[in-house]
Amino acid sequence: MKPSGQTEPRQNKPYLNGLLAGSIVMTVSHVAFSHVALAASEKSEGSGGLPQLDFSTWPTQIFWLGVSFLLAYLLMWRLVVPRIGSVLEERHNRIEDDLRRARQASDDAEQARMAFEAMLASARNDASETTRKATESIRKKMDRKMETANANMAKKMASAEADIATARQAALKDVSDIAASSAIDVVSQLTGLKVNKTDAKKQVKQAEKAIA
Amino acid sequence: MHSPVEQFTIKSLMQLELFGYDVSFSNSALFMMLAVIVSTLFLTFAMRGRNMVPGRMQGAAEMMYEFISDMVSGTVGSEGRPYFPFIFTLFVFLLFGNMLGLIPYSYTFTSQIVVTFVLALFIFIGVTLIAIFKHGTHFLTFFVPPGAPKVLIPFLIIIEVVSYFVRPVSLSVRLFANMLAGHTMLKVFAGLAVMISGAGGVYAPGAILPFLALVGLTGLEVLVAALQAYVFTILTCMYLNDAIHLH
Repeated sequence: MKPSGQTEPRQNKPYLNGLLAGSIVMTVSHVAFSHVALAASEKSEGSGGLPQLDFSTWPTQIFWLGVSFLLAYLLMWRLVVPRIGSVLEERHNRIEDDLRRARQASDDAEQARMAFEAMLASARNDASETTRKATESIRKKMDRKMETANANMAKKMASAEADIATARQAALKDVSDIAASSAIDVVSQLTGLKVNKTDAKKQVKQAEKAIA
Repeated sequence: MHSPVEQFTIKSLMQLELFGYDVSFSNSALFMMLAVIVSTLFLTFAMRGRNMVPGRMQGAAEMMYEFISDMVSGTVGSEGRPYFPFIFTLFVFLLFGNMLGLIPYSYTFTSQIVVTFVLALFIFIGVTLIAIFKHGTHFLTFFVPPGAPKVLIPFLIIIEVVSYFVRPVSLSVRLFANMLAGHTMLKVFAGLAVMISGAGGVYAPGAILPFLALVGLTGLEVLVAALQAYVFTILTCMYLNDAIHLH
C-alpha cells in the first residue's frame, strides 16, 4: 500500500467534515507508514527504551529550541504582532470614528428638529398674533364706521325731526288759520253774519285750548 | 515488533558541534524551524491585504491574535500588555508544532520532555524574576495564604512552596505526556491495522476496526493539539498574573 493524497483537502465544507476527511487521510498515511516501518524493523534490532530519555539528544534539542523560539519571538514581536495589531486598531478607530460621526449626525438631526419645532411654534404664534391683530383692526374699523354712520344717521334724523317740527308748526299755524276762515265761511253760510277775522281767530284758539 | 515509540527518535540530519556539545540539526530542529516559518508565513500572508473587512485567512489570523489578546487581558489585566508578544509567540509556536506533528512522517517536537521542560523552566524563572523585581521581599508573602489559621501556616507555606516549584514540572509534563500518549496510541492502532490485514484470509476484514478507531483518534488528536497549546498558554498567563498581582 502506497500513501497517496497526503495533503489535507481544502476545507470549503463545514470544518467537522474537513476534520473527518483529514483524519481519514492521515490515518491512511499512518497505516502505510507503519507497514513500511514494520517491514524495515524486521531487519533492525529492537528499540531500547523511550527516545525522550536519551540524554545525548538533549543539548541539540535545547539549542534548537532556543534558536527557533528566539527567531519566532523576534518575528512575532517585530513583524506579525504589529501588523495584525495595526489592522485591528485601524478598524477599531474606523468604527469609533463612524460611531462618533453617527452620533454627531443624530445630534444634528435632533437639533434641526428642535429648531424646526421652535420655528413652527413661533410661526404659529405669529400667525395667531397676526389673526388677532387683523381681527382687532377690522373690528375697530368697523366700530369706527358704525359710529360715524350712527352719528350721521343721528344728525340726519335730528335735522329731519327739526324739519318735521317746523313743518308741523307751520301746518298747525295754517290749521288755525284755515279753521278760522272755515269758521267765518261756515258762519256766513249758515247765518249770513259777517264775523270779524280776529274774533274768529280768538275763538279758534279757545277751541284749540279746550281740545288740548 | 516495531516499537510505537520509535517515532520519537531524534535523527540527526546535519552534524553540528558547538563548544563541545552536539547540536546537530535534527528532525526535531527541522520541525521547530518549520513551525516558525509556517506560522510566520501564514500570519503575514493572511494579513497581506490589511482589509477593513477580513476574509477567511485574515479572519483566522485576527482570531488567533484576539484570542491571545483577550486571554492576556482577561487573566493578567492591562499590566500583561508588555508580555503579549511573548505569550502570542508561545501559543503560535506550540500550536503549529503540535499541528505539524500530526502530519504523517513529520516530527512532534513537543513530545520531547526536554523541549517542554526547558520552555516551562524558562517561563517559571521568568515569572519568578518578574515577581521579585516587582515586589521585592514582599513576594515571599505569596507563599502565605491569606486568612489561614495561624497554627496551619507553617504547613501551608511548605505546601505552597512545593506547589510553586512543581509548576514547571506539571506544566511541561502535561504537554509532553499528551503528545507522547496521543502519538503512541495512533501508532499502536495503525500497527494493529497493519498486523490484522497482514494476517490475511478471514482475519483481514477485521482490520477495519482499528482503522476506524484511528480515524476517531486522529480527529481527537487535532483537538488535543490545539487544546494543549491553549492550556500551556493560559497557565503561563496565570503564572504571570500571580507574579504581577501576587494573591
